[in-house]
Amino acid sequence: MKQKTNFNGSKPWVLVLGFCLLLGLVGCAQSPVSKTISAIESSNFEPKGPVAEWRAINRLTYGPTPSLLAELKSNAQPKEWALNQLDAARKASLEAPKLPSDLASINDSLPLIFDGARSEREARAAVPAGTRLNELVANERRFNFQEPSEALFYNRTQVNKAIAWRLASCSSDDVEQPLLARMTEFWFNHFNVYQLKGSVRPFAGHYAIHVARAHALGKFEDLVLASAKHPAMLYYLDQWLSVSPQPGRAGQSSRGLNENYARELMELHTLGVHGGYTQDDVRELARVLTGWTVSPRSEDGFQFVMRLHESGNKTIMGQSIPSSAQFTGVKEGEQAIRFLANHPSTAQRISLRLAEYFVADLPPQALVDQMAKTFLATGGDIYQVMKVMLSHAAFWDPENKLYRTPYDFACASLRVLNVPQDRTKWLQAFGYSFVAGQGIQNWQTPDGYAFNASTWFTPEALTRRIDFALTIARNAPERSDLYPYLSDATTKAVMKQPPQQRMGFVLGSSELVFK
Amino acid sequence: MSMKAESMLSNRRQAIFQTLSMGAFALPAISAFADAPTSSGRMVLVFLRGAYDGLSMLVPHGDERYSQIRPNIGIPKPDGSSKTALALDATFGLHPACAPLLPLWQQGVLAAIPCAGSPDASRSHFDAQYHWETGKPGSSSPSSGWLNVLSGMVGNGHGHHALGVGESSPRILSGPRPVQLVGNGLSATRAGTLAESKTREAVLQLYAGNEKMANAMMEGASNRMSTAASLKAPSMASSNELQAANNGAGSPQGLSLDAKHLGTLMQQNRELRLGFLSSGGWDTHINQGNVTGLLANNLNNLANSLIQLRAAFNEPNDVVIVASEFGRTCAENGTRGTDHGHGNVMWLLGNRVQGGKWHGRWEGLAQNQLNEGRDLPVHHDFRGVFAQALVASLGLTKGSIANVFPGFQWDASLDGIFKA
Repeated sequence: MKQKTNFNGSKPWVLVLGFCLLLGLVGCAQSPVSKTISAIESSNFEPKGPVAEWRAINRLTYGPTPSLLAELKSNAQPKEWALNQLDAARKASLEAPKLPSDLASINDSLPLIFDGARSEREARAAVPAGTRLNELVANERRFNFQEPSEALFYNRTQVNKAIAWRLASCSSDDVEQPLLARMTEFWFNHFNVYQLKGSVRPFAGHYAIHVARAHALGKFEDLVLASAKHPAMLYYLDQWLSVSPQPGRAGQSSRGLNENYARELMELHTLGVHGGYTQDDVRELARVLTGWTVSPRSEDGFQFVMRLHESGNKTIMGQSIPSSAQFTGVKEGEQAIRFLANHPSTAQRISLRLAEYFVADLPPQALVDQMAKTFLATGGDIYQVMKVMLSHAAFWDPENKLYRTPYDFACASLRVLNVPQDRTKWLQAFGYSFVAGQGIQNWQTPDGYAFNASTWFTPEALTRRIDFALTIARNAPERSDLYPYLSDATTKAVMKQPPQQRMGFVLGSSELVFK
Repeated sequence: MSMKAESMLSNRRQAIFQTLSMGAFALPAISAFADAPTSSGRMVLVFLRGAYDGLSMLVPHGDERYSQIRPNIGIPKPDGSSKTALALDATFGLHPACAPLLPLWQQGVLAAIPCAGSPDASRSHFDAQYHWETGKPGSSSPSSGWLNVLSGMVGNGHGHHALGVGESSPRILSGPRPVQLVGNGLSATRAGTLAESKTREAVLQLYAGNEKMANAMMEGASNRMSTAASLKAPSMASSNELQAANNGAGSPQGLSLDAKHLGTLMQQNRELRLGFLSSGGWDTHINQGNVTGLLANNLNNLANSLIQLRAAFNEPNDVVIVASEFGRTCAENGTRGTDHGHGNVMWLLGNRVQGGKWHGRWEGLAQNQLNEGRDLPVHHDFRGVFAQALVASLGLTKGSIANVFPGFQWDASLDGIFKA
């Protein structure tokens, strides 16, 4: 009431307030008025101190390594540090990943990967009847890839290497820029493929590198297009089998349109289920995409086959897509995807998903709207959308809590214990995440893993998380640099433990179970 | 177990349930089911992931085409020996590795439905499993599992009514209602680090400032201790169990240990009305074998698991159902295996089951009778089979089936698979 009286008695403030509202309050934070009313809206909000530092490092990276924490602390400007991370992540995304040498084959050229898969098929066909393949041996070799893999286990080895790369990326700042590691997980999950679906297996790592990582902070439409043309996605959602049902197509008697990919492209990848499309639009989009299929011989693994493409005009959500001339049919699909990727429903959906991942299970609508506005204004520039989010007070508001998913917690444990190269620990982290229900890149359906607390924070799950924390951290050296970030109650309980048990309790504390 | 011990156990369990119902996860039963279930049976689903080859388990030896299209992997016609199919009637026989099931067939408690499945044509394991588990063929939209939905319709709305053993969070049990999930193999018997009161106490102090976490931790620890205690009863220790466990989880061998755990837990907690088990290793594209071999071993393990389940679920209305996401091709492929097909054989086991016979349509293996000329057709929607069990075994009304399987219509051609 006192503030209100002040406003009324002081006309310039009213003018400033009105001006700020008009501009969406951007740039008004310096005025005393907006300081009192716009803690949520302001982009010049300057978070400081241990709470903000802890938040930044646990949300933008998988957790505090000693060197990164020291860097953040000496910077003393968490928001500036966060924006620097964003710049560094974008820069890194444009460069090749630093794969540990024994994992390099996940980044082989696509023709080589297709060859590997074919060799496995041939090797398996040559196995004498009744032979029981010793799958156990391959299991035991998990995360130890020094020897060249046998043709019989090529696909499985590729999957395991892809998982190992995720563990290397999330745990080591030398292997991967830490925010880019998180963004890669986010986009892989958003454009989810199931790495254990037969034909997808050898491509999962390549997909993570060349789709999720390469376009992580670029234009959203480029990300969708890259995913649409990658063999992993073409196989996963059966697009490669979807052909024109028109009569008179040679050799296609038992095949026809498959709507699987077209539907998920609208429902999950872009617009969202209430994004304004109908079943007719799904069918039209499927018709547009006929002829999009894999190519084992081409560098990008993709080809458009005009012979399999359905001719005729199509209309998607009121957008007319005229019939194409020979060899340009692929442009129909590209045009449709660019349209969907830049649709206002998509801007909302992508902004919401990013805010759910980085800010809160139920992020403030004002934040999502501001991100979506930027999305549309910049042609879907993910970097710019992220910048809005990191500059927004909602990102820094301690009321916006997040519970770590099992994958997140597994990676956090490797960072808190500072064991980026310890593959035995990787195996423990991987095993925990898997048993807890979030195997790395292991979700079967195209919706990807949920990352909210209502999915992951259950009583039994918490006890298994504590089991894991106490086990993986046993005898780990203490990290006194973390103590200033823990609550008094946590510190007291940790210090009661003998030194060789303390890191387990640090890891199991609410400061690390949540973020 | 003496009466006294039994009642003590039940008191202890009641106490645990009271704790549970105070938690944030308890939901009231769906109020639409005013028509209270009248039958107190229990239903267990054994789901064979990867699409098992039903035509090796239920062998159509009466069809001349069977041996023609399966020259290497077919099971020979019954000759009375254990090297051939075990005759059930003039049409079908059992795989000899399933010999333990023959007495159940003869007693009239085991029945088969040869051509059941999902109306959706997908040959993708993951799509088809998703459809089976959500009860919504053709839809890949995010959805609760239908056993989770069903768990809100049986019992009084407090505590757990569904139990899954083996998988960490199977889709079929996922959703807003609390269900009991128990780890696979020997992990179920481990109470974890929090079983030690000293550790529990220390973690409680760690969460001193956070009541929600402290409560969740205590509740989880108490659940796990009670599960582990139930499973560590002396009768559980046997060399069989260890052998099964050593062979690893997710395998058909692991199934028999999980089945044993499920039986024990559901015997001890009668609030649990729904059980779920699964096993992998059925996707036999190459070298599946015939009378012996890979598939025969799997089938033998399955048969032994079913014998265990029969012992635990032998009350008048109990039923055990075996199913897979789809079937395999009728003909063998070029690598002495079978590829993804469509319809498949479902099995029902229980005292209410009109057993000793097979049910529903069977038109043989002539090419023009097959789906796309290659697979068993789906004459009976899987939801129709489950709907029959929901009514006969669990006592649901026909009208309430649509809450489990939205939009599904009752399949009257299956009336009679359960005794009235």
